[in-house]
Amino acid sequence: MKFNKMFRYLLYTLSLAVLFLPAISASAAETVAQSNKSLQQQIDELNRKIDEAKESSAKPVHKHESSDSLIHLAGYADVGYVNGESNDGSFGVGSFSPIFHYQYKDLVMLESELEFEINETGETEVAIEYLTVDIFLNDYVTLVMGKFLSPIGQFRQNLHPSWINKQPTAPVGFGHDQAAPVSEVGIQFRGGVPAGPVKINYAVYGGNGPALEENGGEIEAIETPGLNVDGDGKKVYGGRLGVYIPALRLDLGASGAAGRAAVWDPSVDPVTYERSRDYQAAGVDFGTKFFGIDLRGEYIKQTVGKQAASVAPEKAEWSAWYSQVAYVISPINTEIALRYGAYNTPERTTNRTQTAISVNYLFANNVIGKVGYENNEIPNELNPKQRVDNRMLVQLAYGF
Amino acid sequence: MKNSKSKNFIKILVTVVTLMFLMPLANAEDTWPVKGNFANGAKAWAENCTRCHNTRDPRELRDDQWITAVYHMRLRAGLTGQETRDIVTFMQMSN
Repeated sequence: MKFNKMFRYLLYTLSLAVLFLPAISASAAETVAQSNKSLQQQIDELNRKIDEAKESSAKPVHKHESSDSLIHLAGYADVGYVNGESNDGSFGVGSFSPIFHYQYKDLVMLESELEFEINETGETEVAIEYLTVDIFLNDYVTLVMGKFLSPIGQFRQNLHPSWINKQPTAPVGFGHDQAAPVSEVGIQFRGGVPAGPVKINYAVYGGNGPALEENGGEIEAIETPGLNVDGDGKKVYGGRLGVYIPALRLDLGASGAAGRAAVWDPSVDPVTYERSRDYQAAGVDFGTKFFGIDLRGEYIKQTVGKQAASVAPEKAEWSAWYSQVAYVISPINTEIALRYGAYNTPERTTNRTQTAISVNYLFANNVIGKVGYENNEIPNELNPKQRVDNRMLVQLAYGF
Repeated sequence: MKNSKSKNFIKILVTVVTLMFLMPLANAEDTWPVKGNFANGAKAWAENCTRCHNTRDPRELRDDQWITAVYHMRLRAGLTGQETRDIVTFMQMSN
């Protein structure tokens, strides 16, 4: 009896299920269909967005169509802090040196570097470091005319920008009006030529040459700021020949110049000129990299001959050299650079030997923070360790 | 003095004119900018750019800016015209 009751209940339940199953199935199918339709719409929308993304990635914002004329601004700047033995520590702006490039096809380029500096009284001084019009004659020769960096040596023309120089200062003797010629106004041919396993680079030039600065009956300095007038009417000719050996990553260079120069002061009006005398400049340089070590060095000198008719009749010679080793510890973006150099002049009290060390942090390859220390000494037979103006330097350099 | 100046001027003039005639303008091509070789550019970039300074990230500059930047370095580093075009192409395709 009990079994029959249960059986009837089960049969009743099954009958109801059979009766309503089609209705339930129809409802579920409709829900699935709607869901599928929604998913398809979402897929279509995603596909449309992917297509749009593909189109936009084909033309990224940094791409730019070139025209025949191009304008480009580059350069470098540095700021810092100096604390020397002879003065209290001071913050300072080193220089701001924008470089302007105007190029028409691969035929001509105008390039000019300005140099803005703030002097000790807070006034801004501006100078044209170089301004040239360059004609690319062919793949191996470029005509350069105007005011250009002296091709004598390597530091002044290639290594002096603060984001390239591994020390906060130039090597002793390689500053303005010291042993290394700085600039020249004239005409120059330069370029590079492949020669089998090595590469040759060269520069030959003719220019106005330097002015000689006299003080107390002696030649005090050779001024090579790139004079815009040839005071003695005698040109100076010179050049540099470099060989690069890629297999050894070795750069070798030899440079020289010869001509005539005279005592005159470009800043005095009217200018008075003396008779000219012989002028010569010479330099050798090298640079190499091995196992991550950057090693380079340079020797340079300028000589003026005798001139009996001059207020400073004696000959004189200025020379300087330096050697530098640097190594980047890549994991911590830190570079250590050590430099030793010497500067010899006709006036012994201005002679120097210099040891400099700098620890540089590379915020980026073109943004460098330097903390350095310079030990300067006057070579002296009586007191060979006479220290002068040793100083600690901090510099933040940015090449852009 | 005047004579010497004239001689110097003539020397320079003769040198310039002679060289300009001996070395025809190789840049009178219709297509600009002239494309270089990517692989050769990568090699030239690796060999030359670190001779004096740290390498620069190709993404620092736009394509047109790399042209003037590398032509500037053509003079500084003594690159040939072909090396210049190769490096420009390499930098443009890597940025």
